[in-house]
Amino acid sequence: MIVMRAMDKTMTCAEFQDALPELFESQSDFSGHEHLKTCENCAALVRDLQYIASQARLLLPIHDPSPAVWDHIQQAIRQDKPEPPATAARK
Amino acid sequence: MSLTAQKATNSRAPGASSHGTITKERFVLMAGPTQPRPANQHLRRNPPIAGEQEAIDRAREGDGRAFETLYAMHKRRVYSLCLRMLGNVAEAEDLTQEAFLQLYRKIGTFRGDSAFSTWLHRLAVNVVLMHLRRKGLPQVSLEETLEPSQDDGPRKDIGARDLTLSGSIDRVTLERAIENLPPGYRLVFVLHDVEGYEHNEIAEMLDCSIGNSKSQLHKARMKLRDLLRTGQRKEQIA
Repeated sequence: MIVMRAMDKTMTCAEFQDALPELFESQSDFSGHEHLKTCENCAALVRDLQYIASQARLLLPIHDPSPAVWDHIQQAIRQDKPEPPATAARK
Repeated sequence: MSLTAQKATNSRAPGASSHGTITKERFVLMAGPTQPRPANQHLRRNPPIAGEQEAIDRAREGDGRAFETLYAMHKRRVYSLCLRMLGNVAEAEDLTQEAFLQLYRKIGTFRGDSAFSTWLHRLAVNVVLMHLRRKGLPQVSLEETLEPSQDDGPRKDIGARDLTLSGSIDRVTLERAIENLPPGYRLVFVLHDVEGYEHNEIAEMLDCSIGNSKSQLHKARMKLRDLLRTGQRKEQIA
């Protein structure tokens, strides 16, 4: 319903921007939207939001954690484990 | 940073038990209708990994090597999530450690209802949010409005067309802007736009509706645009 309303030529900028979350999920290309043909401000907004999303996709990967993290995990796991009964008996 | 074994033990104590995960009511989200599953517009970043299922099966049986394999497969993404949420290497490494310790203790409960990476990320997200609350954000909620004076929903952008962002943002600038998002916005933005999770997966991780995830993402993008445009204006003035 929101998307259908969004196709209305008479919608205001506020109405269009209210519909944007759904539009982003339902349409990958906003360039042909009726409202955008006559509203440069909303067109710029859509371009910016699409640009932000596209740039965010380029952010992965970042660095690995230092090797010390795995060392500490191993240490903690060892401390977690109860001592095997046979070993304990030998001690 | 240097962690000691003692610190590792101590640091996990608050959330160490199987009941240490964040409860549903902590994620107080904006009321909104549950939306149908959206079309996938983004590149999937959690495809099946060769050898992962075998490593999971073996790790569930207590195979340490298999657990190490799982760590090697997923450490970067878990660490990336922690680092982006905390903005601090030492804390991010502590939380990565905690997340994998939780994984070690709980892997036996993984039933395969969701992708393993989604399940693991959910563990990591809980660890991050618990940490944020301990740091003084006792009610880290996904509902953080953009400005106190505004009701729900992002600020409308009507009439200001002075700047456009296209082609002007480098990685460092965007990372910095993401750091300045409120935690709730940042989490959904990182999970969706950076990590590539779909709204239904995020909703599962955060115990929220798909509609809430979409709404939070939109608010996050709008806030980021504000932050980035403000940065551009400052650069122009300078």
